[in-house]
Amino acid sequence: MARKSFMYSVLEAVQYEMRQDKNMIWIFELTPPVASNPGRPVINLETEFGRLRVANTGIDENWMAGCVLGAGLAGSKALTYIPYQGACMPFQMIQNHAGKLRSMTGGDAAMPVVFIMEMTGQTAGFAGQHSDYEIDTYYAHIPGVKTVIPSTPADAKGMMASAIRDPDPVVFLYAAGLRELVEEVPDEQYLTPLNKAVVRTTGSDLTIVSSGAGMPDVLDATEKLQKAGMKVEAIDLRCLKPMDTETLVKSVQKTKRLLTFDQSYYTLCPGAEVIARVAENVDGAKYKRIAFPDAPPPAAPEMFNWMRPNADHIIAAAKRLVS
Amino acid sequence: MADRNDAHSHDAQRKSPSASRRNFLQALAGAGAAISFSSRIANAQQGEIGYWAKDLSDAQLTNMFSTILKIRWYERTLVDKMLTDSNYRGYNHFYVGQEAVATGVCAALKNTGGVMEADLIYSTHRPSGHAIAKGTDIKKMAAEYDFRATGLNKGYAGEMHISDKSIGFMGADGMIGPGPVIATGSAFAIRARGSKQVVVNFGGDGTYATPHFHSAMNNAALLKLPFIYVIENNLYHQYAHYSWSCPMKDIAEAAGTYGVPGVVVDGQDVMQVYNAAKTAVERARAGQGPTLIEAKTYRYYNHWGAPGAKPGELGAFGYDPLAISSFRPEREVREWMTRDPVDICRNTLIGWKVIDATKATAMEAAIKQEVLDAVAWADKQPFCKPEDGLKNVFVEGSVAARQFG
Ligand SMILES: Cc1ncc(C[n+]2csc(CCOP(=O)(O)OP(=O)(O)O)c2C)c(N)n1
Repeated sequence: MARKSFMYSVLEAVQYEMRQDKNMIWIFELTPPVASNPGRPVINLETEFGRLRVANTGIDENWMAGCVLGAGLAGSKALTYIPYQGACMPFQMIQNHAGKLRSMTGGDAAMPVVFIMEMTGQTAGFAGQHSDYEIDTYYAHIPGVKTVIPSTPADAKGMMASAIRDPDPVVFLYAAGLRELVEEVPDEQYLTPLNKAVVRTTGSDLTIVSSGAGMPDVLDATEKLQKAGMKVEAIDLRCLKPMDTETLVKSVQKTKRLLTFDQSYYTLCPGAEVIARVAENVDGAKYKRIAFPDAPPPAAPEMFNWMRPNADHIIAAAKRLVS
Repeated sequence: MADRNDAHSHDAQRKSPSASRRNFLQALAGAGAAISFSSRIANAQQGEIGYWAKDLSDAQLTNMFSTILKIRWYERTLVDKMLTDSNYRGYNHFYVGQEAVATGVCAALKNTGGVMEADLIYSTHRPSGHAIAKGTDIKKMAAEYDFRATGLNKGYAGEMHISDKSIGFMGADGMIGPGPVIATGSAFAIRARGSKQVVVNFGGDGTYATPHFHSAMNNAALLKLPFIYVIENNLYHQYAHYSWSCPMKDIAEAAGTYGVPGVVVDGQDVMQVYNAAKTAVERARAGQGPTLIEAKTYRYYNHWGAPGAKPGELGAFGYDPLAISSFRPEREVREWMTRDPVDICRNTLIGWKVIDATKATAMEAAIKQEVLDAVAWADKQPFCKPEDGLKNVFVEGSVAARQFG
């Protein structure tokens, strides 16, 4: 056990699996698989496993995604790290190939591959093409791929280990805004399920649901609301597909109030799916969703920071829902 | 540099300005070939592309020098600002070192008249040189870089997404790949409507690996589009040497695959760039289709921002962001800086007797001041109104605020 950063935890899981499985490969274009943590050895997959297994390629995310898919079909576990600027370039590869091949082959095709998708959206000033939000929804919409979005280093490690061992393709959404997060993470390899949400705080007045980059704001708001006497149940989705409907329904059956919060565009944000699933199963509940407006992120920090949903918005909406 | 000074001090060259220019160019072309390239493409093209610049008027030549200086001082001012002014919010992908490429290409284009008349250029995430060479308003551009409401794009763009339709500057593009494909679409429209415009796409060496590079070249060749792809090979895509993504020494070789002329030019020499661009533009205007130009050049700063740089000093040194990459030996940076596009242009114009040293120095001082004034103007511009972020999603109205629940 030691305090580890998000990416260190992810690479620790990968390093362990690559040491076990000599066939496993990793493709990247500009973000080398390197992470350091105070007092621990630097993890550098490129130097440890060599260029045959860990390759730095030209700028072609479409190829990178296709490459790991092909490797998977040929019987090797494979991962690729797609930087945030290229996060939608391989969409077709994942939507029409990764997502469909098992079904199209009558169950034959196995694709033990992981697409790590870097997501930004956190940084004011990057503007339009460099601070996009919605890729969680895009990838979660695809049948045949599991779409996960851990929000803590410990979950990231356990879910990465599970993703690698999973015989199906996994889109592993990495919210770059969580890069600086550090927490206690076990040294040994462990598996965190790819189909379970987690209840971060329990309470009976209100359920707040979020995921990935939305979680720090939710936890911050929850703490303040709890101090003010509101009993909040905060749920971290962790898996967008499959979505853990049971945990959501159980919570709202108790609280009868559901607030969803997303760092994603309002229309079809993960919260919309959460609300729909709960509404199908719980009678007499109240609902509210908070998300980024349906607008490309503008460059100027004044505009961007005003539009970006934050903990204050959660607190205000929670109070309105509960009063 | 010694070669060039020797060349233009030769008696015979003093006789008439145009004779002097031609001989000078010949010497230059030979030197360029010997110094940097020995490829099949460069040798094949050297003679053909060497003789346009000498026909330019003194005013046009002086203008080129002025453009190079504007780019240089705009960027140096912003480097210093980034390093010293904590209120400055802009970030930059600096173009310093590559000025001759944008300048030489845009000097061969029509830069007025909007999208229906001007030649169009598509830029990259490193756009300031292209924008200035095309003729954008430096004041407004500086304001945009700092996200001001009166900036070139009203604070919506920031550096990586600036555009100025009024002069055919179709915009910076934060993505690597799609730009050239879109540019060929503009070229298709131009050909269909029978206009004489041409479209230039600027792309880095990094774009070679993208499927879009190949798609743009292939379709432009198939349809004989008035399209010019200018690869600015500054040796690196982000922090990786271009040989990690392109198996050839000269990217221009790729042109052969598509049956298109491929040209390698010395991107530090604005006259060489101009000559190659002019040839390509003439070809495109005459309906003969696309050209691929590879300009060998170098950026003096890092991929992004100004790490390793010191205020008031040119270039960035000693910065290896990842400590594990093969990024930029310091010796390499210094070597390229000895072939500086500002010096090369300045010396050429002095050698051609278009300007003298006093005039060159005065121009430099005036442009420095112009840029300082522009950046000072930008500094005083108003910030954006937060609610305006909901505007400009569609031509009319605004979208709903959804962040409040
Ligand atoms: C599709 C896509 N993938 C990755 C990136 C990240 N990225 C930004 S600039 C860059 C390198 C570009 O290199 P090059 O085209 O050679 O231009 P240079 O920066 O050297 O001028 C990369 C990979 C991006 N912007 N878009």
